[in-house]
Amino acid sequence: MDLFRTFILRRLRQEKLRALATVLGVALGIAVVLAVRMANQSSVRSFETALEMVAGKTSLEIVGSGQGLREERLLELGWLEQFGQISPVIEGEARASFPSGEREWLKILGVDILRDETLRDYRLVRLADRQQSPTPREFLELLSDPGAIVLTQKLARRYGLDPGSGLDLDIGDRRETLTVRGLLLDRGPARALNGTFALMDIAAAQWFFGRLGRIDRVDLRLKPEISIDRAEAAIAARLPEGLGVQRPSRRGRQVEKMLESFHFNLTALSHIALLVGLFLIYNTVSLSVITRRREVGILRAVGVSRRQVAGLFLAEAGLLAAMGCALGILLGGWLARGALTLTGSTLDRLYIRSAAEPVSLGPEHLVLAFAVGIPLALLAALVPALEASRVPPTEAVRDADRVESRFRLSWRQRWLPAILSALAVGFACLDSVDGLPLFGYAACLSIVFAVAFLVPVVLHVSGRVGSRLTRRWTGVEALLANANLSGSIPRISISVAALAVSLSMVTAITIMVGSFRETVQYWVEQTLRADLFVAPATRSNVYSESTLSPELVRLISTSSRVAAVDPFTGFNIDYQGRRVLLGSGDFEVHLSHSGLLFKAPRQGESAMRAAIGEDAAVVSESFALRHRKAVGDRLVITTDQGQRAFRVAAVYYDYSSDQGVVVLDRSTFRKYYGDRPPRSLAVYLKEGLDPERARSEILAGLPPESRLFVHTNASLKTEVLRIFDNTFTITYALEVIAVAVAILGVATTLVTLILDRKPELALLRWAGAEQRQIRKMVVIEAALLGAVSQGLGVVAGILLSLILVFVINVQSFNWTIQFHLPAGFLLQSSLLILLATALSGIYPAYRAGRMPPAQEA
Amino acid sequence: MPVLNAEAVGKTYTQGEAPVVAVREVNLTLEKGEFVALTGPSGCGKSTLLHLCGGMDYPTRGRIWLDGTDLGSLDEGRLTRVRRRQIGFVFQSFNLLPTLTALENTALPLMLDGVSPDVARRKAAGLLERLGLLHRLGHYPQQLSGGEMQRVGIARAVCHDPLLLLADEPTGNLDSANGADVLELLQELNRSLGVTVLLATHSAEMAAAGQRVLQMVDGRIESRRPVSRPDLDDGMG
Repeated sequence: MDLFRTFILRRLRQEKLRALATVLGVALGIAVVLAVRMANQSSVRSFETALEMVAGKTSLEIVGSGQGLREERLLELGWLEQFGQISPVIEGEARASFPSGEREWLKILGVDILRDETLRDYRLVRLADRQQSPTPREFLELLSDPGAIVLTQKLARRYGLDPGSGLDLDIGDRRETLTVRGLLLDRGPARALNGTFALMDIAAAQWFFGRLGRIDRVDLRLKPEISIDRAEAAIAARLPEGLGVQRPSRRGRQVEKMLESFHFNLTALSHIALLVGLFLIYNTVSLSVITRRREVGILRAVGVSRRQVAGLFLAEAGLLAAMGCALGILLGGWLARGALTLTGSTLDRLYIRSAAEPVSLGPEHLVLAFAVGIPLALLAALVPALEASRVPPTEAVRDADRVESRFRLSWRQRWLPAILSALAVGFACLDSVDGLPLFGYAACLSIVFAVAFLVPVVLHVSGRVGSRLTRRWTGVEALLANANLSGSIPRISISVAALAVSLSMVTAITIMVGSFRETVQYWVEQTLRADLFVAPATRSNVYSESTLSPELVRLISTSSRVAAVDPFTGFNIDYQGRRVLLGSGDFEVHLSHSGLLFKAPRQGESAMRAAIGEDAAVVSESFALRHRKAVGDRLVITTDQGQRAFRVAAVYYDYSSDQGVVVLDRSTFRKYYGDRPPRSLAVYLKEGLDPERARSEILAGLPPESRLFVHTNASLKTEVLRIFDNTFTITYALEVIAVAVAILGVATTLVTLILDRKPELALLRWAGAEQRQIRKMVVIEAALLGAVSQGLGVVAGILLSLILVFVINVQSFNWTIQFHLPAGFLLQSSLLILLATALSGIYPAYRAGRMPPAQEA
Repeated sequence: MPVLNAEAVGKTYTQGEAPVVAVREVNLTLEKGEFVALTGPSGCGKSTLLHLCGGMDYPTRGRIWLDGTDLGSLDEGRLTRVRRRQIGFVFQSFNLLPTLTALENTALPLMLDGVSPDVARRKAAGLLERLGLLHRLGHYPQQLSGGEMQRVGIARAVCHDPLLLLADEPTGNLDSANGADVLELLQELNRSLGVTVLLATHSAEMAAAGQRVLQMVDGRIESRRPVSRPDLDDGMG
């Protein structure tokens, strides 16, 4: 311990900057991992907690085919009473606008309060003139008015609402004003979602959500003496066709499954920053060992054992990592909020309403930070620590001529990159594991390590080329800078590797996103053909359906400007444990006006035409890949008439969601599910009309309370790309952090190199180098490091992007992307990196410039 | 005008609490073409005096003129240029940059001064050839023997035709044969180039090579002994 204090701690105190940079690097790595984890957990956990709270004492639920069941089927379910109490339920979301101008999503439960009180615990706030809660009957009276809604006390307080206040709610394509009739105490379902919960009478909710004649599900509270397993089996056996029984938690598991790929990929990305942080640890300990070989020799000469020497350097790594982890935990909580904001809009739009607040920092996160950070840091430090332990005692008495042996490539540096690249190819050919691209990431990791091992070779070669060039073409500063770097290959390799790895990731992800964007753009151009697109103002996602009201559909369809309308009807169904969008469109209109991009068969249009009126479906690529269905296969789907098999007629490209879509022709859909209001309309205008003008004219003909999005073809295309770009903001944010950490590593290395090269610098100063020349030399060194890193990063990045595009993306999201190389961007980013690394050399250059000449070197 | 003229020069370092006086009240004049030896035990202030004469550090007292220029009046940048153009320095431990070849090490002061790489290289190569190192131009220091390294060090010190060549124990790290060669080389350069040499050494044998020998003790120059040319005034004021 004493040796640790004198040998390690004192040195760290002298080199505060290096210690600080390393701690900061590890801290950022840990913080990013924690932040992404907390943001991911918050979306699933808030859904599950809300589910649990709203489920109350519900043990089982009876569900229909996708969008609920017809009301009259309740009559067939009277026998359920023998298992316990039942309560039919409507559940939906609406967006409330408060008097303050703020808006929030409300989860609204529509129930028959007399039945439901046995399943869920509602308590009304005692009113000032009463000492008691209202009786169920009074409660019923509160809700009997069809415009009545009961909010939570928490929400009402937040927005200054009282019983009697009006509340504007946007639902689907219209706005309704309801009256707050009562407030719920903070217990039972009222605790869900931070108070954004509201209660309505079931009949009012049916009208409000446009689900007249339907209910979403029947909740069942079992009698205490009946076991849930037996009940579930018995009920399943007796339910009529088209109905199913499940536990409420099933929906939570579905959400987890659905978000799995999204979360997995974010988590994988977040680890890049950690990886770079660990490179920093390796770097710091390596530099510490390299620059202190002589001191280590002295320690060995006076009797310190090998094990003790290794222990000292490992302890240094452990200390820096522990400090980094502690700081990372603090930073992580703060970054989590940012991560949640960045992922929130993607989740809202594509999957579920996400939580506004990240889950709070818990013991689990503390354990994660230290359990991941410290062992990995020790592992990273093991190689240099062992190297230190092999320093012979004679090192202490070596002639201090400062003449070192020149760098030679070892067999490891020659062969490991080749072996790792071969491994990468092997991994890339393997299939996904349980839907997760584990081998794809293993291939990426192999490339990353191949790059790391390749760095000394590249530095060696580029140093030789550089020396030829600088000898002839540049000033003395560049010659010196190149010579200095060639002479310090073992010392700079790690920081160059760290920077190259993070830059390769940025390059790879940029290429992947760029390719994806090009693909989506092409797809949008080919498939979005309608002149106008109409959708309700509150959008649908997997757990919230918004539809257009029949009146608006009729008004738009009959407009004199409209040539044809293709309504898209659909809802989410359960297919093999996953949520799948079951849709219907008018195949006839679609074929004559629009253009799907078919993946199979070659003659997609004629296959689609043949499916009209048949029990056949057109499915999206993500559905086909995820569920391994090809043209000609059969899908069994639960319809209102029970289970039916549909032939897969064609597979089309779709990039709107990775959820998977099954589309039936309108006539087929109507046969099995009856008439349903559409989720959106594709409108084809009569020839020669200006879409912008037609849009305004059609909107002017609609009732003023309508809440619609009407996009022209051009504005929708822009919107699609805007959403696309939004989705990848977090990806870039994570990358920028990784690159920042790596640049920090370069700056630290340069400072250490300068301290280590004091005698040479003094010599240069003696030989007449001006401060300006020394500074220039160091900045050139920094820029050269940046250039080598970026060069390597671009090459490796292109390889990684191939894996991302052709392996990981296909395995995670089940869609194919056309490869596209954004040359302009790569050039720009290269210049930017060169500039950034050169800037990172300014402080080290300043330090170097201040070295006095008057020292015997 | 003397090449170097030092008047009542002193240098005091502050090390912790206690000031350490390294050089006290030194007066010294070096004429053009002189070869002067400075002897004394280690720690007597030889190196410090050389550093002060070479413009590597400022004296705390007194003044030093190099070719009529008061070194104390120059700012850091100008002092650097003086070192680059007018001073050559040979070190005991050679102090070659390990990452540069023999040729590059030699040409360094010229290149730092903005001389074109080709011209600098040609001049350095000529000098190294004269020193018998033509076959070593592209070698790195660690590929050279001690004697060769010191010859490169000397080539570097005279490559830019300095007025004053300062040599601090240049044979200290060499065996006697190589040491004799280096001394001979310094004398030869003194004669052929006319460069003034101030050689610091603790060896009496080496000191005997000087036209004058200055004895330094505890930071002072105690005695000056003209050696081979008693007719030449030592110029001390």
